[in-house]
Amino acid sequence: MSADDAPVIATRGLTKRYHGTDALVDLDLEVAAGEVVGYLGPNGAGKTTTIRLLLGLIRATSGTAAIFGLDCRRDAVAVHRRLAYVGSETSLWPGLTGAETLHLLGRVQGRVDDAYGDELVERFALDPGIKVRAYSKGNRQKLVLIAALMTRADLLVLDEPTVGLDPLMEQAFRLSVGEARDRGQTVFLSSHILSEVEALCDRVGILRAGRLVEMGTLAELRHLSALTVEATFAGQVPDLASIPGVASVVVDGPVARCQVHGPVEPLLRVLADAGVTGLLSREPSLEELFLARYGGRDTGPVVDPPASPDAG
Amino acid sequence: MPADAPVAGASRRTRSPATVVAGRTALAASRSGAAWGAVFAVAVASSAVSYGTLYTSRASRRALADAYGSNHATSALFGPAPHLDTAAGFTAFKVGMSLMLLGAVWGLLTGTRLLRGEEDQGRWELLLAGGTTPRRATAQGLVGLGAGVAVLWALTAAGTVVAGHDPKVDIAVGSGCYFALAMVATAGMFAGVGAVAGQLVATRRQAAAWAATILGIAYAVRMVADAGVGLHGLVWASPLGWVEELGALTDPRPTALVPIAALTVVLAVVAVTLAGRRDLGAGLVPDRSRGRSRLGLLSGPMGLAVRLVRPTVLGWWAAIAVSGLLYGLVARSAATAVTGSSVHDVLSRLGATGSGAEAVLGVCFLVLAVLVAFAAAGQLTATRGEESSGRLDNLLTRPLSPAAWLGGRLAVAIVVLVVGGLLGGLAAWLGSASQHAGVRLGVVALAGLNLVPPALVVLGLGALALGLAPRAMSAVVYGYLAWSLLVVVIGGIGATGHWVLDTSVFHQMAASPAVPVDWTADAIMVGVAAVLAGCGIAAFGRRDLAGL
Ligand SMILES: Nc1ncnc2c1ncn2[C@@H]1O[C@H](COP(=O)(O)OP(=O)(O)OP(=O)(O)O)[C@@H](O)[C@H]1O
Ligand SMILES: [Mg+2]
Repeated sequence: MSADDAPVIATRGLTKRYHGTDALVDLDLEVAAGEVVGYLGPNGAGKTTTIRLLLGLIRATSGTAAIFGLDCRRDAVAVHRRLAYVGSETSLWPGLTGAETLHLLGRVQGRVDDAYGDELVERFALDPGIKVRAYSKGNRQKLVLIAALMTRADLLVLDEPTVGLDPLMEQAFRLSVGEARDRGQTVFLSSHILSEVEALCDRVGILRAGRLVEMGTLAELRHLSALTVEATFAGQVPDLASIPGVASVVVDGPVARCQVHGPVEPLLRVLADAGVTGLLSREPSLEELFLARYGGRDTGPVVDPPASPDAG
Repeated sequence: MPADAPVAGASRRTRSPATVVAGRTALAASRSGAAWGAVFAVAVASSAVSYGTLYTSRASRRALADAYGSNHATSALFGPAPHLDTAAGFTAFKVGMSLMLLGAVWGLLTGTRLLRGEEDQGRWELLLAGGTTPRRATAQGLVGLGAGVAVLWALTAAGTVVAGHDPKVDIAVGSGCYFALAMVATAGMFAGVGAVAGQLVATRRQAAAWAATILGIAYAVRMVADAGVGLHGLVWASPLGWVEELGALTDPRPTALVPIAALTVVLAVVAVTLAGRRDLGAGLVPDRSRGRSRLGLLSGPMGLAVRLVRPTVLGWWAAIAVSGLLYGLVARSAATAVTGSSVHDVLSRLGATGSGAEAVLGVCFLVLAVLVAFAAAGQLTATRGEESSGRLDNLLTRPLSPAAWLGGRLAVAIVVLVVGGLLGGLAAWLGSASQHAGVRLGVVALAGLNLVPPALVVLGLGALALGLAPRAMSAVVYGYLAWSLLVVVIGGIGATGHWVLDTSVFHQMAASPAVPVDWTADAIMVGVAAVLAGCGIAAFGRRDLAGL
């Protein structure tokens, strides 16, 4: 088996059950070398569970997970030599300074690019002389990010890595992941910040209640979904809701907004007859895709609204 | 019922945040007060009742009183024993010091947990944002703690009074309540010490360490006072001495309640005052946020472990060494007092060899063994803390196996215990040599090493619990330690050879340097510890990491 075409991450029927809760059910996932894959889902969908299974921190109830062809649990040490992980709520040793933490984590990892580490400290504007307990939340998160990125590991596993980062640092993060992609590193990124996923990822998987409900490139996902149309009318706004394929009509004065599934022709015919003065149409953003899928009008159990903290 | 709903909602809204703190603290403190109170009650009642069955004849009671009544070694360790010819006096001596110390430990743990631990975990932030002040919250927290002490007192008093009803025991209701008050006095005082320490430093662990240091000093001062070296006045310099001066069940002297009450009130007032002067989540003693990076130890998980446990370990070593030194200092005069008495006979029957001072040290080293075993428990909770806090994730997501990590932590702990045992032995030798007590260095050093195997068993048991039931580990370890301690304390004076005694790890240890080290017993303990730890490490590698 050649190293290049073997998948970096491969899970088969991966399942994790906690006393009656199905945290993850039958996950079949493949991530190829060099891919940047986004992993989305509402709170409690099972993203962190997936990642902890991949890291071998918890045991699968059934199914298998392999990274670089090695079993995630049995060969965890060998797997960890080639990956780096960032968690969303990492706790660090409060009495160590930033520099001490980076040194320690680098030594435990074994192989780090010190020059790149220094560059990252600059880029993220981190003061490494401060003790962890005195760092703000965002600065603590930067420390964990730098510790992972400076390893230049073949696989980056990131679980909500930008929680608490300000917009400037969010940019620095995107730049760094871009660099990783350009170097051929594989990235597995779970996030609630959909613009981030949209900007970085080649493929996106969407998880819901422990099941992978969608997996594909952004273009593929859009294809499955609706087109957003916004029309401004000179006179009376016509009844759009009855047109086949049109949904979620919102009328605001002379402006009507709606979603179109399938062919747009019936809508266009109505618009042309009604005297449109302005027309905007665009493909849905990932956020809209996500909201459309989980925004409540969907059937099934109630899901917490997807938050995007600090996205501004 | 729907009609009731608005009423319930309204009453919830009128409860002020400060009473919420009091209510929560009272509930938590009462719960643990009830658990410890049950232990207190059983300890008191069982030893009171056992007196009638163990010492049936007048002669045997007289012999007991002669042996311990003027024994400076036991008086230094457990306090004076004025009335061993009555069930009440026997009970006061047998459980008094243990309960006093346990009460103090309960007080400082509960005080720091409820007044500092809750805050550390961010639970106070919401309450304080909701309109109460830190001072009021602290005052209400102290009221809650008081409720816990009251529950502890009530159960202890109940145990004493019920047992005292037995005509063979014969303790009046009033004396029973007074005795229970003496037993929980340390709980109140050290809850106060814990509360004040919690205002001074920034974390619960640090606050508990400070409070424990003060308890250690209080014990050491009282020990010197009771060691028969002409310094009895020092008894008034230690809170534990005041409790002893209460003379519960023997010669009641309630005047000693004055300093006890005064200290408790002063500590409470100081805690409340200080609470208003500091930031939430910080201590009054400034904590440097900037530090020079010292990378020396941080080249791997073992080095990290050393760096993390260093401050606490230095504290344990100091406590063990100071205790050893004190035992050494008093050994000679204590030995003179016991020569020719029946204690001497008892010790000789146990196989005591060597000088009288060595025989006395044999009894004292039991306390050192307890300290070393508690140090082992401390290492275990620190290890578990790395996992429950999630800090361990940082290491185990890197090329380091769980087994290697846990093995490394246990190795560090073993070094801590071996050094601790040796330090205890050497310090005892130093102390006794300064008094020309004729104690042999080699013998005492070996006796120091002999303290280690029981602690290793505790370490092994904890490792197994860590592997199988991480969330219960602390309860298993401290529960077993408390059990072992209770068994030797209760069994120490009377019965021997009973199988219950064999369940105590301290009972398995030879009373060196009074008797030669029992290498077979030590080898068995080390073997048991190794098997337990091995199973624990294997189980740890097999299970999910578990948070709080
Ligand atoms: N240790 C545990 N014990 C019991 N249930 C758990 C445990 N860990 C996770 N779960 C459950 O598993 C499910 C998936 O949780 P997970 O943390 O993977 O969600 P997530 O997708 O990462 O959510 P979020 O976006 O909030 O981070 C949830 O229902 C959660 O309650
Ligand atoms: Mg998560």
